Order: sequence, then C-alpha cells, then structure tokens
Amino acid sequence: MFRFYIALWASKLMMAVYKILGDTKNDLPGLLASKICPNFLKLIKKPALTITVTGTNGKTTTSTLINDFLRSAGLTTSFNDWGANMQAGYSVNLIRAVNLLNKPVVDCSILEADELTLDELMPWIKPDYLLVTNICKDSLRRNGHPENIYNHIEHTLRQLGDHTTAILNANDPISSELGKDSKRVYFGMADTMRNPFENLGKDIAICPRCGGKLIYTYRHYRHIGKFRCEKCDFQTPHSKYFGEFVDFENRTMTISGHEYPLISDTIFHAFNVLSAIAVLRELGYGENEISSFLATQKVTDIRESCVEYNGIEYYTFAAKSQNVSAASTVFEYMAKEPSDKDVVLLMDEVQDKNHPTETLSWLYETDYEFLNDPKIKRVIVGGHMYLNHKLRLLLAGLPEDRIVAVEDEADIPLYVDQSGIKKVYVLYETDCVSKAVNMRDSIVRYVKEGRI
Amino acid sequence: MKIVEFMYPEYTNIYGESYNLEYLKRCNKDIRVIETHVGDTPKFITGEADMVYMGCMTEDKQEKTIELLMPYRNFIINAIQSGIIFVVTGNALEIFGTKIIGDEVMSDNKIDIRGLSIFDYQSVRHMKQMRHNSQYIGNFEGMLMLGHRSQYSYCYGEFNNYFIKIYRGIGMNPDTDREGVHVKNFFGTYSLGPYFIMNPPFTKYILRLLGLKDDLLFEKEIMEAYQYRLEELRRTI
Repeated sequence: MFRFYIALWASKLMMAVYKILGDTKNDLPGLLASKICPNFLKLIKKPALTITVTGTNGKTTTSTLINDFLRSAGLTTSFNDWGANMQAGYSVNLIRAVNLLNKPVVDCSILEADELTLDELMPWIKPDYLLVTNICKDSLRRNGHPENIYNHIEHTLRQLGDHTTAILNANDPISSELGKDSKRVYFGMADTMRNPFENLGKDIAICPRCGGKLIYTYRHYRHIGKFRCEKCDFQTPHSKYFGEFVDFENRTMTISGHEYPLISDTIFHAFNVLSAIAVLRELGYGENEISSFLATQKVTDIRESCVEYNGIEYYTFAAKSQNVSAASTVFEYMAKEPSDKDVVLLMDEVQDKNHPTETLSWLYETDYEFLNDPKIKRVIVGGHMYLNHKLRLLLAGLPEDRIVAVEDEADIPLYVDQSGIKKVYVLYETDCVSKAVNMRDSIVRYVKEGRI
Repeated sequence: MKIVEFMYPEYTNIYGESYNLEYLKRCNKDIRVIETHVGDTPKFITGEADMVYMGCMTEDKQEKTIELLMPYRNFIINAIQSGIIFVVTGNALEIFGTKIIGDEVMSDNKIDIRGLSIFDYQSVRHMKQMRHNSQYIGNFEGMLMLGHRSQYSYCYGEFNNYFIKIYRGIGMNPDTDREGVHVKNFFGTYSLGPYFIMNPPFTKYILRLLGLKDDLLFEKEIMEAYQYRLEELRRTI
C-alpha cells in the first residue's frame, strides 16, 4: 500500500498544481498514479455508487445527462467528462472521489469508458451499473469490428459477475446478447416511423446465435430496431424501460405513460435520453424529477452549435469520421432535414499522427449516397483526402457540379454559396471542435465581408 | 459475360470490401457479380465463375469459413491451377495457410485452428495486443501497389510465391518485405477494404485478365487520387 499512497499523494499534488494553473481537465495526474502504482485503480476506494457508461455511440451525452441529473438531485459526483475514457481518465476521476487517506468523499463516480480496454480495468473498479448504449461499426484502426468490441464487453461482464447490473439496449441485436450470466435490464423503443435508409455496410449481417437471417419489424437506425431471427428464437428482448411513443416535433418521449422531454429531434439522442432514464429509474429516481431535469437540458455545444446571419443558419455538427455508424447516421439526418443546405465535410482524422494517410475503407462503408439529395445543394470538402472524398461522392451519384473539392481547407469558405439555401452545416470529426467552429465562423465572416 | 463470385458476403465484407466488386461491376457492363452465401455450393467448383473474391472477416468467422471451404479444398487447388482469378484481401488470406494460432479475447486459452493448407504459411493472432495499423507501397510487375493493413495477426513462412515486394511498410510480418501470395491468377494481400479503389492500375490489370477492356469508371479522378496518395505515402511512410 506504500506505493499506492505515494501515487495518490503525488497525483493529488499534481492535480492541485494544475488546478492553480486553471487546468482541471488533465489526465496526467492519472497517468502518474498508474506509473507509480500499476494497480492503483484496484486499490483506490470507490464511492458508494459507481456507474460506467460504455458503447460505440452516445457515451458522452448519456454519461453527462446522468452526472448532471445526480448533481441536480444533490449528490456529489466525480466524472471524467473531458474525453479521457481510459486508465488515466478513470484514475483522475477516482482520485477526485477520495481524500488523502483514500476515503471516498463523493457519493458517486460516473465513468465514461472506452469499450476496448474495459475488460482490463473494470474488474478493478467493479461498477454497480454498466450501461452499454450500443455496439456499432467504429474506427477500424482502433476497434476492428463490432464482434471484437462485443467480446471485450462480454469478457468484462463475465469478470464482474452478479456484482454489476448490465443496462442494455434491447433494440441492438449485438449488445442485447451481452451478459447472459449477469443481472440485465433492458431499454427499448417502439417504432418511431422514421423509415431509416438502408445502410451500405452492416454492423451485424446475421443472427449471432445460429447465423440465420435477421428480420426486422422496424428499424430506428442502422441495425437498431425490433428484430428476430428467421431460424432460431433470437429476438428483441423485453424492455423494462420502453419508449412507447416518441414525438420528435414536440421533443417528447412517453415511457410507461409518463412523458419525458427530449434534448433534440434526432433518434440517436432519443436513445441517449432513454438509456439515461433507464439508469436513473434503476437508481430509484422518480419520473417527475427526471422530467423536470430533462426539460432544462439541450445537446451540448461540443456536439452541435448554431449562429444565424442574414436569415441563414450556420451549424457545426459532430459526425465522427472513421466511426462509420455515426457518420452514416449524420449523413441520413442531413438528407432528411427539410432545409435546402450546403454541407461542409471536415472529417479527416487528425489524431493519427503516425498514420498521416488515412485508410479509405471508412469512406466505402459510410453512406455517402445519402448526401445525394436535392436539398443538399453542394457538398464542399477540403484537406489532404479531398480527391478521395470527391471520387466517393461521384461514385455515390452526386453530379460533379454539386461537389466542391479543394486541397486547402482554408479555401472552403470561398465556395459556400448562399443563394437558395437556408442552412450551412459544417460536419466535423469530434476531436476537432475548435477547427469546426473556426471554419463556421470564417464562412460567416466571409459572408459579412461580402467575399462570397 | 464474366462472372465474379463474391464468397460469403455475410462473413467477408466487414471493411467496405463489397465496394471492390461494386466498382468493378460499374467499370464494365459485361461483369456480373454473384453472391455465394453460407450454405450455398460455390460456383467456381463447377467452372461457373471467372473470378472469385473474398474479403476480410472476424476471427470467429475465419474458423467458420475454413469449415465451409474444407470440403472444397481440392476444388480450390484445381481452380487455382486452372487459372481462375482469385482476389483475397485482409485476413481472408490466413485461412489458406496451414493454421492459425495465438490468443483470444474472452479467455487465456490458446487457439489452434487448422487452415485449408493450400499455401505453406501460418498465422499468429495477438488479440490482447494493440491492433497493428500501417500502410505500404510495393511493386507488382512494375505497378506501384498501395495497401492499408489493420490487423491483430501476422503470417509466418517463406513466402516464395509472394505477390508484392514491399519497399515502404511491412510485408506478411514485420520482418519480411514479402507481401501476400501470387500463384497463377491467385492474388492475396493483407491489405483490406476497397483494394481496387486504392489501386486502379491493378484494377485495370484484373479487367485485362478477365479479357475485358481496361477502362475505369471515373478514371481521371481515381488515377488522380491514387497518384496523390502515392506521393503522400512516399513522404510519410
């Protein structure tokens, strides 16, 4: 334990220094703790309640909702809310949750958790609840394929045993199969009549039990929906928390006769809200309490922001590039959103410094075909992948006069044409919020200056 | 009409591989793609296919695919010897070797899976390690070939019948510059995803092998993208 206390005190000291410097969202103290004491996460005391949120899409929004609700309900929480969702981030989260004597000083820790490393670290943390939002196609480079992610989460649940309640998406034929030996609670949703487009790439092509064909009564998006296997008894499990009716226009969802506010008009955010409600209801919070809280919430600015100038709305909109499922879902939203618009793609990966030339595979799994919609007047793309995007857009059927591909991203604002449009969307890789905001603001500035 | 057989698309299309055939088909109206699903008898064994394509699959499906193809092992050997075109990308290449060994995610058990033993190499999986990602530039008959690999495993063997001589990046494992397998008209590479899109000169080569004109769809654009990528990889690998 000597090493542990040295690690705890050193990292707390480092955190104090960072705090003085105004940097409270830095995971270096967590790295230091694990460096000094490799089993730091095992030895640090956990608060009375620990909730882990994992899954391909929706982790940040859902864990933020859970955390913010618990705080509004008077609990003290620790939360790795700055995107550090692996060992260092968990360490900082839990260091904040204890005092110098390793005694918990908060009521609850919310851990947003990376799926791939879950089975290495969660057995040390032993969360009370593990929410899996969904398993979809994600970054090829890091995660490989959905079956790989399933294996890591299942391996985690097997190690956690009945200590942990798994909260699972009944509409996901991949993640709903998790935790056969765990306590399981499901959330799901009735048909929202959104009639999702068919996707080019399938997150799951066949029944995971027998290899039979999967039949859908309805789909919400991608592979998420009400399903059954044509050969065996594999089907959508019963949902304890079931969204019976979703009114996207008025942004409400009804669960067991109670109407909850939604934070946006998108199906994926409806699922984020539903999964957060499932966790909060499991914790014993009342419908009215949760509703009152949700009424005050909106999608975080990190995911979406808008400025209006001269009757045109200019948006930044997170899309996640190499995450095929997220990018395709956003492209579908662009096609269905009723305004005439220009769409700017800022979706090249910038984090893979060791691999400056990206793989092409995600372009050919992502549904660029959805962008071939008459309401999308132009697709403007820049950066080192511009020729690959252009080719992909041509293969998706977009006429050449609706594609602008420029090597230098800085030139993009020159090509936004305001005539006949109501909105401009800058779709961006989630790690590039500032870049997206700068691009959007440049476009608006060019308009104000009369340069376009 | 040239028949291209897509083997087990429900298994072997996990990284956009189907677009290889979508693109090929759109390049020439005399190409017809047929899908052979799990449980179907492969068309190539009765000589009904001019080309066979198989793409990347999950580790679990590798084992199932070997089970499915094992009864046709001799037919595959005969088809290769008779000059039928095979294009095999990603870890589909591993099933043609002698065995796949290594570890798995769900337990500390070691796996040992017998391969089709059509070629003399074996694969080793490292499922508990970080995924290997890299790009390559190599040479095949004077063509500069580009590849992207993303994998948990490597192949080991002599690779006397290699497909590509790598000059930037790695081959079948980090210690060799030999990449893939080339026997008669069998072309196998660890590179995954839309290989024909990434390598338009090779796509032209395949069209010619099929006995067709080698015009490409959006030829100007695809060649520009290839050339740009080649220059970028030359600078960065």
